[in-house]
Amino acid sequence: MDLLDKYKKAWGNQPEENNKFSEVEIYKLAHSKSSSIVKWIFIVGLLELLFWSGINLVIPDSFYKVYDDLEISSFLNVFLVLHYIVIIFFLFLFYKNYKRISIIENTKKLIKNILRIRKTVKYYVFYNLATVFLISIVLNSVMFSDEDKLMQIMNPKNLAMDMSQIITITIISQIITLIIVLALLWLFYKLVYGILLNKLNKNYKELSKLDSTN
Amino acid sequence: MQKDLETKFLSDFEQNQNIAHKICRLYTTNQDAHKDLFQEITIQLWKNYSKFRGDSKFSTWMYRVALNTAISLYRKSTRKVKTQDISEVEFKISSTNYDDTEERQLSALYKAVHKLNDIDKALIFLYLEDKPYKEISETLGISSVNARVKMNRAKEKLKNILNP
Repeated sequence: MDLLDKYKKAWGNQPEENNKFSEVEIYKLAHSKSSSIVKWIFIVGLLELLFWSGINLVIPDSFYKVYDDLEISSFLNVFLVLHYIVIIFFLFLFYKNYKRISIIENTKKLIKNILRIRKTVKYYVFYNLATVFLISIVLNSVMFSDEDKLMQIMNPKNLAMDMSQIITITIISQIITLIIVLALLWLFYKLVYGILLNKLNKNYKELSKLDSTN
Repeated sequence: MQKDLETKFLSDFEQNQNIAHKICRLYTTNQDAHKDLFQEITIQLWKNYSKFRGDSKFSTWMYRVALNTAISLYRKSTRKVKTQDISEVEFKISSTNYDDTEERQLSALYKAVHKLNDIDKALIFLYLEDKPYKEISETLGISSVNARVKMNRAKEKLKNILNP
């Protein structure tokens, strides 16, 4: 057995690892969550894009007839293209965030990255809500700017109806619809991204605490 | 409660991390793989820390979790690990105030252990760490008798590689 004993002695005398990890680094290793949360933010954003563009494909053409009648189809198409460019830009930012956070750096940088990611997501949600709001304002102003056309569309059979009453009802229903849509969207973002951001915030707080004690 | 647990875990693990590094050196042969395995061990330790009741020493418990992680990971990627360059290990061992013959022995030992299978590696590691058979059998979840038999075979294999 003396052959192995020699080696065992060498083993026992071997120096400690040079690249030891600090408590903060160990914390980050154990909570590789941050990077996986950011990955999920990217994946959810991607799924969302697919979902909305999928919905556009499913909606029958007849639905868009009203836009043709209002002669704003081309405006809408331009708007949609711009919208998708912005969304893809956001997705690119999400992806860059994810790549950046996957590389383990020091705590300060990680904290900074988490703050940056939070900001990106906030802007993203704000952009989406603002877009819905603005586009419905634009659509409605176009709709109500030409009363004759509106009447043609709303009342194609030309039934005898009180003009101002129709407009009032339409405006009210449009406002209610807008509020409901915005509320639903806000709820959706609050749920999906809120959960992810909350987790990220928790990591951020713990990291800050660890950083200040070290 | 959770916070205290975490602080305790971090300091315990920070102090005992050399165990994990040694296991990583035995089961991997380059820095990237070393770090990957170390991270996986860290995640497993933290995940299971709440189940660690403190009826054994932290280091004892760590040997078990870390080795099991290494074994299961090694099984999943046997081919990848085997084809990696062995010579890089020597870079990891610093030579400050260190006897040259022991250094060469250590390097030969690492090279030899890399040729063993995952279980034999674990057995030899525990032998080198001077663990009693009782602890070896508990760590690897085998009977004491079985541990002795397997250990003798693993030692024979190692000797044959070291001294063909």
